[in-house]
Amino acid sequence: MRFWRSFGLAFIAALTLGVRAGAQKLLVPMDDAQQNHLKAYGLTFSALKAGITAEWLLNYRGGSFLLPDTPELRRRAGLDGITIEALDNGSLAGIRNEIAEANMETVPLEKAPKIAVYTPPDAPPWDDAVTLALKYAGIEYTAVYDDEVEKGELSKYDWLHLHHEDFTGQLNKFYLGYRDAPWFVDLLQKNATSARRLGFSNIPALKKDVAEKIRQFVERGGFVFAMCGATETLELAIAGHDVDLASSFIDGTPMDENADRKMDWKRAMAFQGAHLEMSPYVNSMSDIDGHQVNVPGRRQPLGTFTLFNFSAKFDPVPSMLVQDHRAVISDFFGVTTSFNKSVLKPGVTVLAFEEGAPWVKYIHGDYGKGTWTYYGGHDPEDPQHAIGNPPTDLSLHKNSPGYRLILNNVLFPAAKKKPLKT
Amino acid sequence: MRLRRSLAWLALIIAVPVYAGAQQPASADSTVLFKALDLESAGKYKEAAPLFRAALQTPSSVSALLGLERVYAELGWSDSLLAPLDTLIQRNPREPMYRTVQLRTLQTLGKDTDLRRAFERWTRDIPTDPSPYREMARILLQRNQTSSADSVIRRARAALGRANDLQLEIAQLRAAMGLWAESAVAWRQALVGAPYLEQAAVYALAPTPSATRQAVRQTLLAAPIEVGARRVLADLETGWGAPSAGWEALRPLPPDSASADAWTEFADKAEAEERWPLAREALAAALKWRPTPDLSVRAARAALNAGDAEAAMTLAPLAQAGNDSTRLAQVYVPIHARALAMLGKPEDAAALSGRVDKWLTPATRVALTRTVAWGWVRSGDMIKARAALSAAGVEGDSSDTAGWLALYEGDLKTARTLLRSGAETTPELALALGLVARIRGDRAPEIGKAFLSLARGDTTRAAAEMAEAAERFPDGASLLLLTAAQLRFALKDESQAIVLWQRVVEQQGATPEAPQAELEWARALRRKGDAGAAVAHLEHLILTYPQSALVPQARRELELVRSSIPGNS
Repeated sequence: MRFWRSFGLAFIAALTLGVRAGAQKLLVPMDDAQQNHLKAYGLTFSALKAGITAEWLLNYRGGSFLLPDTPELRRRAGLDGITIEALDNGSLAGIRNEIAEANMETVPLEKAPKIAVYTPPDAPPWDDAVTLALKYAGIEYTAVYDDEVEKGELSKYDWLHLHHEDFTGQLNKFYLGYRDAPWFVDLLQKNATSARRLGFSNIPALKKDVAEKIRQFVERGGFVFAMCGATETLELAIAGHDVDLASSFIDGTPMDENADRKMDWKRAMAFQGAHLEMSPYVNSMSDIDGHQVNVPGRRQPLGTFTLFNFSAKFDPVPSMLVQDHRAVISDFFGVTTSFNKSVLKPGVTVLAFEEGAPWVKYIHGDYGKGTWTYYGGHDPEDPQHAIGNPPTDLSLHKNSPGYRLILNNVLFPAAKKKPLKT
Repeated sequence: MRLRRSLAWLALIIAVPVYAGAQQPASADSTVLFKALDLESAGKYKEAAPLFRAALQTPSSVSALLGLERVYAELGWSDSLLAPLDTLIQRNPREPMYRTVQLRTLQTLGKDTDLRRAFERWTRDIPTDPSPYREMARILLQRNQTSSADSVIRRARAALGRANDLQLEIAQLRAAMGLWAESAVAWRQALVGAPYLEQAAVYALAPTPSATRQAVRQTLLAAPIEVGARRVLADLETGWGAPSAGWEALRPLPPDSASADAWTEFADKAEAEERWPLAREALAAALKWRPTPDLSVRAARAALNAGDAEAAMTLAPLAQAGNDSTRLAQVYVPIHARALAMLGKPEDAAALSGRVDKWLTPATRVALTRTVAWGWVRSGDMIKARAALSAAGVEGDSSDTAGWLALYEGDLKTARTLLRSGAETTPELALALGLVARIRGDRAPEIGKAFLSLARGDTTRAAAEMAEAAERFPDGASLLLLTAAQLRFALKDESQAIVLWQRVVEQQGATPEAPQAELEWARALRRKGDAGAAVAHLEHLILTYPQSALVPQARRELELVRSSIPGNS
């Protein structure tokens, strides 16, 4: 009892001593003053989850957050080592004036989005940058997979994340290098069993149907954030809905010789006119990816990518997605690392690009009533990630600018929709 | 740059005797080569290049080519190597080094199509040679193109009917693909013909996930027993945090020179990491094959440090000194005196020291005096301990050992002065100094008693006495309680340790020991599976002591409890 009494006293002391008493707002700076950028997103998300309205100060000190000054938020900031600054009315007015006069904007965040991550039920959270980031930041999510998607459960969520799933159903062509590996044999069996149980003749048929349901989810107003191979294969599966895209290893029949010609790119969200990789022996899906990491002779080296500086007042949505304390970020490989400019649909917003390269890294667009965002690569802090590599420990990368881009996407659906000025 | 140059010289040392050996006697040709090498080592790459080119026409052409490859790389002229390479290959298509350099150069230049063609040409020209497959697989592995490397190895198997010559590449490939058990099999086969690959095998297999390690162990332990495989497993186990299992891999080796080398090297590492029981075991095993006096002395010292006094005397018997009285006095008697003191026979230790007194140096004599005094301390006879020290004269009475004796007797005033004069820094000394500095009075027999119990090796009693002393001395209570808790924890009595940590946190919350006690308490709760309580304490620590140096550790523990970061696998 004495312990808890002293805990209570000490806690109250910590609340009152560390920051100015009587403050009305807490500023969560997101520039270099911030000790833990990734957990700062979790703090803001927890505020939204508790029904508290937050504000996102676009381009102000790295895209800072403004939260009400409550004991619970201070407590969580203290526990997680998040830098906060107490603001009185005068300081706050100064900040608002600065925002009004510069390329900055205030965006109210109103409601914590309901987040789903498309991942197999037995997958550990450590092989997917988004689940790593969500876990580390303390943002709740629900794992969904084929069964849930087929049952129509996507409608329960606002935001869906996809990572390295191959929606063409070819399991990322891992059979080329790993056909005897126990994990691949297991993966193949589980997927085949799932397909049969859900009434599909093979894995590609199931995955294409899942892709179609994801397309419908976006069309009806959902947010999709995809990384790595999921970006490219989701598009291929949607455009190739009625085409045999898979090699005989997976479905017993060779790929349709005319598949390239039969692709219906009108259905796709981001790409058009891409060409499929017709050889089952080449570890690539199409020419969407600029880096082709797994194809000898085509593989391109990693460089750096630059975030586009949008007008916060006129383009708040892309501005939200690129809030960061660094404008130039080291690139990282993935099954799909980048997106060739030549296959982007008109109207796609390029959020990050590599200077002088024919590809871009990070793109966004609207589709129906919803939006999609694609971020190439597998893990921003493990640029050469390979199968079997140890998982990334984000407590060692708590200021990662690459991971921040992922978390921008998580908060973006929380923004109160304002009529766009452009 | 220096590394590259030293590698260049290494390559020269290896290559020159092999390829220049044919030319007898040394000719003008070799003068050109050596001149080129001199220029290269002086960093005059432009001047060295024409001389290396000239030496391509001599019997030292391979050394010259390697030199040319190096200087062209420094100058950024690697593309200029392709033409001379074509000529050399035309002249001697069976020389593997020409082809290897060609593949390497094409890879450096990023000419992937030409690289593939050169590889195909090599396999066509010499269809029975495994070298092209090996070199190509290596290049692909360096480029992280595992599936392509796998295809090359499959081709080699089909073309050559075997893949024995490619075991190293297969091993690296399987590790790169995450096929750890298969990689271990290939490494084991590769090690048979190339024991120098041990470190490469350890490096490649070290990232094996814990769930797959058993398969790697089984492969490396399987009959017949091979020293190379066992050495690799010993290093792996040590790296995986199980050095005892590492020793278990080496222990059954048959006694021979290779095994003795393995045991001695394992002991070197164990000594460096102060894993004394393992060092003793390994050195004792090596002694059976290589009974040298130096090894036996090392083994005896390891045994003493491991607390095994009887083994120490057996491993380094006094008779081993033979007629060398100085060595007997300087090396063997200190070991035996310390062992006797540990065994509670300080009289015997004193007698032994006295017998060799005339051969002792002053420093050894003082050390032996302290040993005898410690022996009396361990036996509980403080009067004789002090007498032993006094016998050594003024130096003995003013030593840090005298400071310890003062502490055991509760004389904090003397202990404060003398303990500070000690040259050694040990955790015990730091604790004692911290405590005597914090307690205001000059007498504390209860604390002396607790330290004396600790010196006698009676950890249980020491812990109890520290906790009792905490009641009497509020100035040092938090440190006494924390020390008592650490002793309980060392005795694997975690429940009693928790009681003591709890006392520090609840009753001594304002002391510097409180956050440390709370962190240890939370860790204990986490180990017991009580995540909720562990979280509460970690949160309390972080919020109550935000300036403590332990806060980062507490945050990390909190993240592990909440599974917000991957745990140790």
